Parts: sequence; C-alpha cells; structure tokens
Amino acid sequence: MKIKVELFGVCREFSDNNFLDLEFDKNIQIKDIRNEMIKLVKDKFPENNNYLEMVKKSAFSSKDEIVEDDFILSKNETVSIIPPIGGG
Amino acid sequence: MFHCEVVDVNKDQITIEKAQNFIESQKCGASLYFLGTVRDHNNDKTVTGITYDAHDSMVKKSFKEIFEDAIQKLKLDHPAAFVEHAKGYVPLGGISVIIAVACKHRAQVYEFSRFIIEEIKKKTPIWKKEHYQGEETTWLEGKPIEVKK
Repeated sequence: MKIKVELFGVCREFSDNNFLDLEFDKNIQIKDIRNEMIKLVKDKFPENNNYLEMVKKSAFSSKDEIVEDDFILSKNETVSIIPPIGGG
Repeated sequence: MFHCEVVDVNKDQITIEKAQNFIESQKCGASLYFLGTVRDHNNDKTVTGITYDAHDSMVKKSFKEIFEDAIQKLKLDHPAAFVEHAKGYVPLGGISVIIAVACKHRAQVYEFSRFIIEEIKKKTPIWKKEHYQGEETTWLEGKPIEVKK
C-alpha cells in the first residue's frame, strides 16, 4: 500500500517535493511511518542528529486530527508529520 | 463572533485595519490588539526575517478550538476575536500574527488575548525558519504539539 506523508517545518528539508511517497507491503500503523522516516533520515543525513530527533519527537495527523502511534492507516492514505511547533 | 485565517504573505497581508473593521462591528465596551512582529536578534544572531510554515487546515481548526476554550474557561461576555497568522517570508518588523479581541468589559480582553497567544504557542501547527545576516537559516526547535483531550 502507498502512503503519502506531507512534510512541514524542519521536515520539509527531507525532500524537494514537500511530501514523501512510502510503499508498504502490509497494513501499517503510524509507528511504521515513523520508523521508515527514521531510516530515511539515517540514510540521507547520517550526520544530522537534529533531524533524527525531530522525527522521534514529531506527532502525526490524519484528516486534521493528531493520531497515536498505534493508529491503523488505510490504503492510499495521506498523513502529515507535525514536528515540534513554535508559532506566534 | 470569530474570524481566523492563515495569510499567505505572497498574496495578501495582515493589517490592523481588517481586524479593526471586524472588531468594531461588535457591540463591546472593550477591545485589545496584539501584534507579533519579527525582532532583530535571537540566540545572539542578527535576524533579517522569518519564514513561517503552517498546516493551514489544522491551524484554522486549532484557532477555532482555542476561541471556544477561551469562552468556556474565561466565561467571557459577548466575546469577539480576529486571529490571523502569516505564512511565508516576513521581513524584520513585519507582522507575523494579529490577535484582536473584544468583550463587554476591559478586564476580560487582557485575559482573552493572552490566553489565545499562549495556546497558539502550545497547540497550533506553525513553524519558524529564521534568516540571519549572510545566507544562513535555521528552523527553530519548537515544542512537541499539545493534543486537545
């Protein structure tokens, strides 16, 4: 199944497209997305511990609601990564 | 009465006049305007501007929830609020956020305005990338989002 992850804040640095398309061969939960993104950051930015910490500290949202790590994703779902915030 | 928006500064701008037009149309005895602006220093660096990023739909949802929470927690009389936050590059001195509030009596507008900005900092998915003299930029660290329970 394909999952699109919309990138925000510091996580926009992970791709030129502002999103990631991830492929999984089984039903997945948010924690699988997080683990996949941790792998991606380790591969692409091996020296950057800050990016790694940001993924670990980030929340995820589905349909504008923050969801927990055990939230089960539907096929072709779009989710957003919500790194630590700081507006105002 | 409530208005909120994420303003893409490449297409539009945040102005006090718009807030004033909204707030003045309400039948309230007290109003207060808060502006967040880009300041020139942070972490011992000279700041030239900030790029704001936002999850637009979640930001608007968060603003509405904060407004509703404020009414309930502060027991406001005849509340009105106008909240806009910038998205995109805001230069030094530019307005990043405006919070205009009105209530029946003056004491409540101070509490109301403070409540909104403090909650935005905890609950609203907005991010800042600071631009410094030279070409350097940094995404500010921020705090993990607080989830409404």
